[in-house]
Amino acid sequence: MPNVLVRRLLLPLAGSLATYVLLVGGGIMYATIGNSASDGLVTQMLINAIVVLGIQIYIGNTGVLSFGHVAFGAIAGYAFAIFAISPDRKAAQIPNAPFGLTEVDLTPLQSSLIAACIAVVVAFVIGMGLARSGARSGAVAATVITLALLFVVHEVAKNWIDLTRGGKTGLSFSPLGRVTLQGRGWVYLALLLSLVAARLFKETKSGRLAQAAREDDLAARSMGIHPAVQQMIALLLSVFVVSIGATLRVFEIGSINPRLFFFKYTLLTLTMLIVGGRNSVTGALVGVVVISLGSELTRYLAGPSVELPLLNWILRNGLTDVFLGVSMVGFMIFRPDGLLGGWEPDHLVIRRLAKRPTGHLSEVRQIETRLHRDHLHATEIVVDFGGFRALDGASLTASTEEVVGLIGPNGAGKTTLLNAITGLVTPSAGSIRLDEEVLDDLPSHLIAQAGVVRTFQNLRLFPALSVEENIGVARLAVAGHIADRPQPEVELLIRASGLTELRHRRAGELDYGNARRLELARAAAAAPRFLLLDEPTSGMGDLESEEMIHRIREIASLVQAGVVVVDHDLNFITGICDRVYVLDQGKVISVGTPNEVSLDPLVQVAYLGGPIGSSN
Amino acid sequence: MTELLQQVVDGLGRGGIYALIALGIAVIFGVMHLVNFAHGELITVSAYTAYALFVAGWNWWLIAPAVVVTAGLTSVVIEFVAFRWVRGAPDFTMLMTSFGVHFLVQAAFVMYVSANFRQFPRPGWIFETWKVGGVSLEVFDLLVILFTLLTLGATYWVLHRTMFGMSLRAAAEDFDAARLMGIRSDRIIRGAFALSGLLAGVAAVFWLMRSGQAGPTAGLSPMLKGVLAALIGGLGSLSGAVLGGVVLGLAEVFLISYLPESLVGLTDGIVFLFIAFLFVFRPQGLITVRRAERV
Repeated sequence: MPNVLVRRLLLPLAGSLATYVLLVGGGIMYATIGNSASDGLVTQMLINAIVVLGIQIYIGNTGVLSFGHVAFGAIAGYAFAIFAISPDRKAAQIPNAPFGLTEVDLTPLQSSLIAACIAVVVAFVIGMGLARSGARSGAVAATVITLALLFVVHEVAKNWIDLTRGGKTGLSFSPLGRVTLQGRGWVYLALLLSLVAARLFKETKSGRLAQAAREDDLAARSMGIHPAVQQMIALLLSVFVVSIGATLRVFEIGSINPRLFFFKYTLLTLTMLIVGGRNSVTGALVGVVVISLGSELTRYLAGPSVELPLLNWILRNGLTDVFLGVSMVGFMIFRPDGLLGGWEPDHLVIRRLAKRPTGHLSEVRQIETRLHRDHLHATEIVVDFGGFRALDGASLTASTEEVVGLIGPNGAGKTTLLNAITGLVTPSAGSIRLDEEVLDDLPSHLIAQAGVVRTFQNLRLFPALSVEENIGVARLAVAGHIADRPQPEVELLIRASGLTELRHRRAGELDYGNARRLELARAAAAAPRFLLLDEPTSGMGDLESEEMIHRIREIASLVQAGVVVVDHDLNFITGICDRVYVLDQGKVISVGTPNEVSLDPLVQVAYLGGPIGSSN
Repeated sequence: MTELLQQVVDGLGRGGIYALIALGIAVIFGVMHLVNFAHGELITVSAYTAYALFVAGWNWWLIAPAVVVTAGLTSVVIEFVAFRWVRGAPDFTMLMTSFGVHFLVQAAFVMYVSANFRQFPRPGWIFETWKVGGVSLEVFDLLVILFTLLTLGATYWVLHRTMFGMSLRAAAEDFDAARLMGIRSDRIIRGAFALSGLLAGVAAVFWLMRSGQAGPTAGLSPMLKGVLAALIGGLGSLSGAVLGGVVLGLAEVFLISYLPESLVGLTDGIVFLFIAFLFVFRPQGLITVRRAERV
């Protein structure tokens, strides 16, 4: 494998530069061969590219559908106009501006940076709200909050006449509305920086953790990721980029009014992002180009210069908006991941490099043995769901040197006990400790960082991320929190799980057995002290569950973690467990070696309705 | 006191319309987990239908049922053309699709009719007022309240007494389980869209009686109000949606009466701000539908 510097910094950088050269080169060519109008179109396209890249940083990495980014653009755009318009022009337009803003006289560059900072401050406040609302991929509350922002900003811009001059005329730089942005120098620079920022953010820790949370919020939190923090970082960077794009847009047009950053621009920029592929930075740019060209083409076709009698019904004014709407709906229906999906140009090179044969398993650095052993205690746990008591004072103790089984009839509370330990449900009584550390009221991600990591009954991988990245993200999430716990290399885990050939596959494409193995490897990558496995063999045949026994033992000894495993398969439980807890109706009814509990009359009652032989 | 009563009646009048729209949105959310931002387009279509029929010389008594039927049909058509294909897709895809349909219908009307609003006469009698014990009540508000109650009653009957309604509620509760019990998902979803369209149609009649105009963006405001009301009510809950509509209507009327003159232009903005705050602190809406994710 190429080292981290090459694959996370140099190659993405090279890829971005190549894309940049293509885009800007193509733009310049179009501007030179075209007429005078095409020059302005290229400028607009490049500015839109900056805004769309900004939106991509947030929507792409977090999966949260935001309608508010154009509103941040409006805030920055107005701030920019108010700072940058000359005092005598302001005296004519907004003589009563509050805070003495009429007198302010700044250069466009200063204004643009200050405006972007103001938008970022607003974004911080909104971001706190989004975090509070539990924003995650596809969350409706987050979409509504951002939509509310779009409307509120629009209404304020329309009504705060002293500051914005209201909706009819707006603010303009010169009386004639002359173009104020001379040349494209600043646009080129801002585009380059935005592109590099967006592409590199995807490879940063924040970016990668946010992507994991985008794929599965709950699984991410159970792996030690705190999505809200990563989303906030993505939001701030994203709003900064959008704001710079927005100030350029205002400067290029030479004026601003409330309609400039409202529904229409939201539709345009979102369509560009969706069409190209929201998870890809390169895709965002492809979308910008495709939609810009498409819009121009439809505008031309609908214009007076084209006369096709048979197509008159479609070639008319408004065709461009219909084209945008059709693109959006069409892509959502037929290709929701856009043209490029999550693809970036550097992936080509990375995959090729990875195909080279590398060393053997034995060469992978072995992990030093730890000396002390830990205990996980769940004591007298009570969990109520409404009127139903799912756990009624169940207790469990496990040490890092054993495999503990948890069995019981359906509805006995096995999964609920795992959920309580990992912080997914809050017990109404009882305590959970890891040695001396109390885990009771900790959120899931801190419990995972403390070393209690789980898998899920219904498999929760990060489907759009590669096999390698699934494991890598888990490792990254707990980095810095694992003290002296052994953390195996990604490489080692991939091989120990037999996934070497599949390392670049998206996790969502794996078959069931491999997916289960990946989930186990991902959990191990978080350097757990305890692995909590929820039905690791569900849906497997006898041979596969036999193999799973070895797999679990191997992985557990690799990270020296204790195992608590819930399962229905008694052969599997007997084969792997040192001790077994039997739960029934929320209570532990028996504890002992697999043999002991199977002879316990209480267990026989719970499973069979009566002790064996009692019916006679 | 009389002023308060007047405002309550006014609020219920507004809220009734919102409730009908919100109920339609909640019905669809129940069966396919889609927040239908294109729901307002039913009102846009209704508005143009009403306008066209006016031009053709019809009167309100004939237009009203025609509008209701058109809205119901349009809803089914939109489902057939767009939403059918994204059933079971991730939430992001469905949200984006419904916004796309919203924009697309809007663009189509700009293209084929005009970007400008068309006016049509409003029935004059609806703005007459009745004096009841010192309180003057607008006939319109009373009419809306009456018809909202009738429509809700009919909807309740459909949902609780017909096979279709019971299947629909079962599907809203647990779609997979309902399917396993032999409920045909195709039929249920199509039926839900039809029901939701009819409800939007009733709401559209009143909305248009008051606004008296048709334009490409005519559906935007009612859609937003409906979505907000449904969200206040917790999205999945049908009774919550109705309650959310009423709460929103009352809140608006009180805001308008008690806001200082200079801020009245910002009423919608303030409502939005409140809603945003509501979602920051109660993302599941005022009425929480307990829907624990199984892990």
